[in-house]
Amino acid sequence: MTQNEWVLLLMIASSLVPGLMIFSLSEERVRLRTTLNVGGAVLKTGLVIWMLLGVYRQQTFELRLQLLPGLELALQADALSLLFVALSTALWLVTTIYAIGYLEGSPNRSRFFGFFSLCVTATVGVAMAGNLITFVLFYELLTLATYPLVVHRGTEAARRAGQTYLTYTIAGGALLLLGTVWLYTLTGTLEFIPRGFVASLGDEHHSALIMIFVLLIAGLGVKAALVPLHGWLPQAMVAPAPVSALLHAVAVVKAGAFGIVRVVYDVFGVEFAAELGVMQPLAWLASFTIIYGSLRALLQDDLKRRLAFSTVSQVSYIALGVAIAGPIATIGGVVHLVHQGLMKITLFFCAGNLAETLGIHKVSEMNGAGRRMPWTMAAFTIGAFGMIGLPPVAGFVSKWYLGLGALEAHQDWVLFVLVGSTLLNAAYFLPILHVAWFREAPESWPEERDYGRKETAWALLLPPLVTAAMALAAGLLAFAPFSPLEWAKVISPREFYQP
Amino acid sequence: MSAAIWLVVAWPLLLAIPMLRARMKRALHVALLPAVVLVLVPGDAYLRLPWFLFGTGFAMNGPARWMLAMAIAIWLIAMSVRASQQQDAGHDRATTLLLLTLAGNLGVVLTTDLLGFFSFSTLMAYGFYGLLVCGGNEDVRRAARLYVIALLVADLLLFEALIHTATVASEFSYAVARQSILTTQYAQLYIWAVLTAFVLKAGIWPFHLWLSGLFMSAPLSRRVLLVGVPVTMALLGAARWLPLGMPGVQGSWHGIQALGIIALLYALSRLVRSGLSRMLAAWCTVAVTGLFLVILGTGLTYPAIWQQYQDMIYPFIAVAGISLVAVMIVVERLGDARQLANPALQRLDGWMLRAVGWIRMFEDRAAGSSRALRTQWRILMSRVAAQGRRVLPWKHRTADLMGGWGTSITMFVLLGLVLAWLTN
Repeated sequence: MTQNEWVLLLMIASSLVPGLMIFSLSEERVRLRTTLNVGGAVLKTGLVIWMLLGVYRQQTFELRLQLLPGLELALQADALSLLFVALSTALWLVTTIYAIGYLEGSPNRSRFFGFFSLCVTATVGVAMAGNLITFVLFYELLTLATYPLVVHRGTEAARRAGQTYLTYTIAGGALLLLGTVWLYTLTGTLEFIPRGFVASLGDEHHSALIMIFVLLIAGLGVKAALVPLHGWLPQAMVAPAPVSALLHAVAVVKAGAFGIVRVVYDVFGVEFAAELGVMQPLAWLASFTIIYGSLRALLQDDLKRRLAFSTVSQVSYIALGVAIAGPIATIGGVVHLVHQGLMKITLFFCAGNLAETLGIHKVSEMNGAGRRMPWTMAAFTIGAFGMIGLPPVAGFVSKWYLGLGALEAHQDWVLFVLVGSTLLNAAYFLPILHVAWFREAPESWPEERDYGRKETAWALLLPPLVTAAMALAAGLLAFAPFSPLEWAKVISPREFYQP
Repeated sequence: MSAAIWLVVAWPLLLAIPMLRARMKRALHVALLPAVVLVLVPGDAYLRLPWFLFGTGFAMNGPARWMLAMAIAIWLIAMSVRASQQQDAGHDRATTLLLLTLAGNLGVVLTTDLLGFFSFSTLMAYGFYGLLVCGGNEDVRRAARLYVIALLVADLLLFEALIHTATVASEFSYAVARQSILTTQYAQLYIWAVLTAFVLKAGIWPFHLWLSGLFMSAPLSRRVLLVGVPVTMALLGAARWLPLGMPGVQGSWHGIQALGIIALLYALSRLVRSGLSRMLAAWCTVAVTGLFLVILGTGLTYPAIWQQYQDMIYPFIAVAGISLVAVMIVVERLGDARQLANPALQRLDGWMLRAVGWIRMFEDRAAGSSRALRTQWRILMSRVAAQGRRVLPWKHRTADLMGGWGTSITMFVLLGLVLAWLTN
């Protein structure tokens, strides 16, 4: 094996091995568990930096293992996969620190962190999959690894949410598998290739290819929470805050959105997909989801449910960027994969802090929360401003490229979707900020925990501050080398024929 | 010197972090120091930051010096008023919001491109909104809510304008962007979007409800900043974004001039009724912004005239800003003096009240030169007002909006007749 093949293997092992070891640890082995968790995350971060530099220098990272005759487990690192890997690895590190603080003293932590690590392993596998079958394998592993996290609290509501989650995601997985098998019977290959590999089938299998596209997008759309396949996401909010962060920003929803990007670009090819006539309906569906999710968010009093519907809306920006089918919109969609992750994880961390420290679960309970927890609410404010799309936070950069891409592709109507979404985002985020910062605090909070002179535990406060700073930096320094935007600009040209 | 321009914006931003100014007295004054130095040191300075905010830059040149001097003066006045009236005593949050607003304000003045302006004005405007709401009473909050709605709509319009510019412009510096947009089919859309956005942001009639509401209810230090932050910066924005004095602008913009004249007359008609109340400064502001609209219409319609007088626009904004603040302070002092029963100032107050009375009498006689015409206009205007009240549920605001229409439109028509008579 070459050095680069080892790196790919280590990328998987750096979370898989600690995860398996953590399962066998007793609850009392806190220090060892923390060391394994943080050590794995730091190692993975180092490997990602190594690969980023390698890919930047045009090095190839590829690993192939024979699964069945004609089917290989393929791992690769290209610019697109590294964008997702870098995001999930960086956020895994901060989420691990947050989860350590959040779950301090609670039962079943070894089980939690074991599945947590498996979940990240599956996400990295999804990101680095070199063909559709490898993608499907890790995608299903992700479903199985996240289910125990959703039901972690063991309450009736958690079990119900877990059941809904499993029903949706297994059904989605089945559709994805069906589409994959059908595609394999037609093409005899499932390798991800820039600009796709099905164009050669041409008109002969026109209807079949449309059906396959629908099956694959429906399968991926469940995790990406495209309406009407989004029902599991708001229900899954009963899970602990680190799991919500994982679902919304690091792993599950992102895996679905990333899958849509892969299928459109590296299976069908964006231009062939446009010829098939499937991109316009996907753009409409994504636009509908953006508006619908925002409208539903507007009606929620439960903070986490409001954020969940916000995710339904925001993740569809990625699908919209892909469906507009132009190089600039691609930049907007792909970069939003990272930007939405940074902003949404900040918001969930903050929601978790409010719940853990003051017992606040509802927007109507947030009066004066900014005075009691200024740092947490400052991070929340940055995240919310980013979601609205106000400059200079990262969300503005995504919306900018989506709008520009829409004009470039002569799809001016998308601007109305962006404007409507911005107004709705403002309508459901600004009132939160208003009551938290400018209303009088109540005499007592629903369930206050004492952290002395600090507003909350360091392990809970540091992660949202770091991710908020990253969201701000991603917007402020969007033109700096190695920024998510610059990386997305590298990805876009490989998906389009240059004139 | 060039390399240090960014400090003017970064320094107040840093001080906005409460921990960094914990032991600092007069943090706001300290935050203004780099700006004061920059204004006093002669010579131009430029700085380009290719990685920052889509490649923005800062410049200190003639126009920026006028605007920066005005901003510094207004901020110093606001701070001294705040200190003398002990507003925000013990409110560390208000200091943070003031510093954020200040950083945005200075950024807007110094930035050299549309995206930089857009970004810094967002920081400035939301910081100012927070400042209004922080410790404000219910009336202030209601007006601030209107302000933030106007702000959101305005920002979306500017976003549309920016996006359309980006399809053709290689960079976003004011000159390049203005020139580039004129070559496209979107030129008219751009001009309308930008005009409407800055009309909303400056509270120009008929979108002045938030402005008059804040003048009515906000404390003096906030009213001083109201002129220095949203109003004058919106005027600056309009002057920088619009392709004024450029021959490629299509169409006639007399409608904008007419709107400006109506706004001016409306404000004058309210002005003479307000007396020496705090609303005097409000109607002066609406009058100045109306006049500015006339100037913008002229700049779009007659490029040659604009090119001749364009250097005066920044001094005009700066002087207008300072003058409005001066009016505000004088009226406030007169109000205080009335309470203290200072005989000299009471005499001055009496003269001013008499002067207002004369103006009112003159207005009544001028407008009533043709009794029949006046009566008919009043009937028509009362009908318009009744319709407005029926359509808009917010009755007292509607009355505020419609109140001066009758007189102002009468004056507008009379002015039109006089102009027609003069040209013939």
